[in-house]
Amino acid sequence: MKRTVILLLVCCLGCFWGASALAVTPEAQQKVVTSASKNVVEIGLSYSGDRIFFFGVNPVPGSDVVIKLTAEKEEAVKLSMKGRVGPFWMTVKQYEVTGSPFIYKIHTNKPLDQIISKETAQELELGYDAVRYKMKMHLIRGESAPEDADVVWKGLLKIKERANLYNIVEDPKRLEVAEGKLFKHYFRFPAAATEGRYLVESYCFQNGQLVGYGKDVIQIKKVGLENWLTQTSKNQALFYGIMAVLIALGAGLLVGVIFRKGGHH
Amino acid sequence: MEIYLPIAGMSINFFLILGIGGLVGFLSGLFGVGGGFLLTPLMMMIGIPPAVAAASDSNQIVAAASSGAFAHWRLGNVDFKMGLIILAGGIFGGTIGVQFVKVLRAMGNFEFVMKVVYVLMLGLVGGAMFVESLRTIRRSMGSSAEAAAAAPVSEPKLSKLFVKLPLRMHFHRSGLHTSAIFPFSIGTAVGIMAALLGVGGGFIMVPAMIYIIGMPTIVAIGTDLFQIVLTSANVTLQQAFVNHTVDLLLALILLGGSTIGAQFGAVAGKRLKGEQIRILLAVIVLAMTVKLFLDLVLTPTDLVSLAAGKGGGH
Repeated sequence: MKRTVILLLVCCLGCFWGASALAVTPEAQQKVVTSASKNVVEIGLSYSGDRIFFFGVNPVPGSDVVIKLTAEKEEAVKLSMKGRVGPFWMTVKQYEVTGSPFIYKIHTNKPLDQIISKETAQELELGYDAVRYKMKMHLIRGESAPEDADVVWKGLLKIKERANLYNIVEDPKRLEVAEGKLFKHYFRFPAAATEGRYLVESYCFQNGQLVGYGKDVIQIKKVGLENWLTQTSKNQALFYGIMAVLIALGAGLLVGVIFRKGGHH
Repeated sequence: MEIYLPIAGMSINFFLILGIGGLVGFLSGLFGVGGGFLLTPLMMMIGIPPAVAAASDSNQIVAAASSGAFAHWRLGNVDFKMGLIILAGGIFGGTIGVQFVKVLRAMGNFEFVMKVVYVLMLGLVGGAMFVESLRTIRRSMGSSAEAAAAAPVSEPKLSKLFVKLPLRMHFHRSGLHTSAIFPFSIGTAVGIMAALLGVGGGFIMVPAMIYIIGMPTIVAIGTDLFQIVLTSANVTLQQAFVNHTVDLLLALILLGGSTIGAQFGAVAGKRLKGEQIRILLAVIVLAMTVKLFLDLVLTPTDLVSLAAGKGGGH
């Protein structure tokens, strides 16, 4: 009997704990009305990334605005770490990183740590620290070392930032909030942003408390020739291979006929 | 003008690829040797994933070699029997090579192995060519009597050994009588390399046919081109089927550039002396070797890099 009571108590405590941990629920907040210049981005032959403008109305005038761009799906990436083997540099270990977003961009009208506490940032996954906290890595090959966690995170961040997939801009000029109400900004989708659904989430904070939330979905998809080539190469690999060979043969023979002498190999 | 390559998954300047294709085409037109061994490293330098670079170059080589093979076939320089036996070896080797690439990619060391093989091959070929052409130039400066003495024609010793093996055949065009195992094993070795490096293997095959098998130079070139068409077609097919790494768009742009470049190269080639051309090629090959070698031994700027074959997500 005593045991049951204790068990019940523990359960109740657990529930309270759970409830308090989910204190910040974005969907329960006032809606931030937003509008994107377009919701579908098409990857055609000349695709080299795209820029999408966003407009939004701040439900609580004067509050701070934080906008986050992520991919809907999380990705699992394999990272190779190079090390010295004799005189050579080669891959000595590999980590699989899960739970890290494919793309991660944040715009704020002032430094993030002045807007929200660390706990809130972690809960809403805002800021690099939060990304790192959520990211999981496990060794697939080689021997692990204590400093690996740091090296892998920094390496991933560098790769992502260079590809313009990760960045954080804390600048009122970049995220204009006119008279504390109307905000506008743009996200640059780099060429590396491939097919998929992307989320743009707008958060409004007043004195560190979430007071408004809005969400836009942007879809990127390959179209026309790009789409056909990608699909065919994956789904009808044999046909794709034969086609590639035949086109090359045809082109080569055509050139041979045109130039008579033909290009040397 | 940016163009999006569907398989490489990146956006790149159209004229940059066309230009690189043109440059390699120009060089291969000028030197009369393969462009593949220059093309793959150049593609990697501009950021094309190594596996996609190698596979797409194979595809491009199908086209480049077929136009050359066509011309040689009309001139009667193709030994089909020899070519087909080498080809059988090449297909065997190419199939092994593609599986090898698959394993290496999964292990994350594809790039390393590829670069090591490149450094070895290019260093060897470049070095030998450099020494040979330098000698020729020195000799032409000296007396002609000395030149005659300094050019010993060595009998291919290995071919004598193979004559004793079973499966002896007569090769009419090449004027040879040797065992079929011989060209088959050479084809196998080159086939493995073709898959690993994305090259037709001409720069190894032609010297091997002339110096090891003992074929006449012009027949070696014609036969080589003929078998390269089929070998690289096989590699392209396997890469497309097993690794999904053939970027047809990339291959077509390269092809456009290289065919135009090859024509200019052939014209320029007529204005230069043979040894001048060879020493120039040797310098280019050696420069490439040094660059790749430094990549292997210098501390890399990025210790962490994305490995191929990511699971799930994007």
